[in-house]
Amino acid sequence: MSGSFPARNQVAIVGFGQSPVVASFDRPLGAVAVDVARAAIADAGLQVGDVDGFAASSLLPTAGDHQAVDGVSTVSANWLAEHLGVDAAFATGYQGYGQLPGSVALAVNALTSGAARYVVLHRALHNPPGRYHGSGRTEAAGAAQWTMPQGFFGPLPMIGLATNEYLQRYGATREDLGRIVVEARKNGARLPWSFWHERPLSLEAYLDAPLIAEPICRFDCDRPVDGVAVFVLTTAERAVDLPHRPVYVSGYATGQPQRHRLPLHWPVDDVRAAGTAMATRLWERAGLGPGDVDLPQLYDGFSMFVWLWLEVLGLCPPGEAHRFVTDGGIDSDRPGTLPVLSGGGALGNGRMHGVPQMLECYLQLSGRAGARQREATVALAAHASPHYGGAVVYSAIPG
Amino acid sequence: MTDAAPARPAPVPDDGSQPYWDATARGELALARCSACQRFVHPPGPVCPHCGTTEPALAFAVVPGTGRICSWTVVHQSSLRAFEADVPFTLVDVQLDGAAEVRLIGRLLDGPAALDAAVTVAFEPLPDGSAVPAFSLVDP
Repeated sequence: MSGSFPARNQVAIVGFGQSPVVASFDRPLGAVAVDVARAAIADAGLQVGDVDGFAASSLLPTAGDHQAVDGVSTVSANWLAEHLGVDAAFATGYQGYGQLPGSVALAVNALTSGAARYVVLHRALHNPPGRYHGSGRTEAAGAAQWTMPQGFFGPLPMIGLATNEYLQRYGATREDLGRIVVEARKNGARLPWSFWHERPLSLEAYLDAPLIAEPICRFDCDRPVDGVAVFVLTTAERAVDLPHRPVYVSGYATGQPQRHRLPLHWPVDDVRAAGTAMATRLWERAGLGPGDVDLPQLYDGFSMFVWLWLEVLGLCPPGEAHRFVTDGGIDSDRPGTLPVLSGGGALGNGRMHGVPQMLECYLQLSGRAGARQREATVALAAHASPHYGGAVVYSAIPG
Repeated sequence: MTDAAPARPAPVPDDGSQPYWDATARGELALARCSACQRFVHPPGPVCPHCGTTEPALAFAVVPGTGRICSWTVVHQSSLRAFEADVPFTLVDVQLDGAAEVRLIGRLLDGPAALDAAVTVAFEPLPDGSAVPAFSLVDP
């Protein structure tokens, strides 16, 4: 296997920590982040004083009228470094599309350039008081003037429109869509740290739920939560001296939309075109094809993303993903399937914005998944919508 | 705290969009065209997304406003307080005839929506005298 990415398999994840995923912490987000970072550093067999690099996105991913306050509703790389008491050689935030792939890229760049020796990569999510996407705005200025006056505002109508386009064009149904949610919640229910621990969802309950922006009901959306995850990364050379089996970063790609559109307007063909371009780069960099990935973990912040990721990654032909899923193609309990939500995803864990996918790749490839352990040596964590996100390929095999 | 929902958010025109909103107030749909490549740029912006010119000299042209429904969603709950009393309402995604670059999103004033149904532009009046483009079915 060879890819064009010069840093392929030169950086590895060597430890992790995660908080429980809850409706609301009883302490400020930053305090929890410091505790989880200390736990992750210890898990990696390191001291806090060994860590000299920090990479993170601190986006508060909501359309609502909420303040982003460092240490309270977000945690930036610099905030974490300062409150851990580390005089960091490298601490920076990622502002581009694809928060986790971008953070991984920052970590890889820092480590392979020698700017840092051990990097803490974190993601801290917060559920602010009030309605998550709620807004009392009475003026539609700037980009909002094109969509807000007619009532097209926020992620729910955005995803309702995009999901209905898929349903109408390909004859998919809400029942088909619900099967994605049921699979995610089935697996999330098995995770002790998940918001939905021991609470799977039946297809009947899904179909009975009131619609928000047809065809979307609340179960098609990941539940806003408080949660923190931290990963520790270092070079492949240093990783072999540490306690756990390293999980190598084989490659990554992020993408961007290719068409000029109204804000929040996501035509399915736009998502596919940009996502396919990004995936082409990903495979070329990692030196792999879709058939080489034992364990894809697909983003599911909204249910229909799973169909689109299956298609842009070349795992299903365009327009066929709904049939593949309904026929059992992603059932993690059946052998020979693509268990793309085995880690529960966002729908099964809570709105942890790509963490469940990355964490499942790490736990499975490092052999740390306990009773849920699968055989896998190549994994992929997909992040966000294919046209505003990215993906990272991981490998258990060095070199 | 008052129980009344706030007024619907009115568009705040800027230099680049004033001609669009002046036209809607007259009951017309006018879209910006790049003077270099003649393609429509919607929303209007400083760099033409089609030919890349940084001096697009956008010129607004009235268009017929007919098109076909590519998708729709029925909003049952709005995260904008101002629309809480309007639900349920339908938003349609319309591919405009004669403007391949442009898909608009607006309220469907009648219905029901169907894939590829022909629609024509209409206008929702707002209290401040402005108007928001919407759509109605050609064959209801």
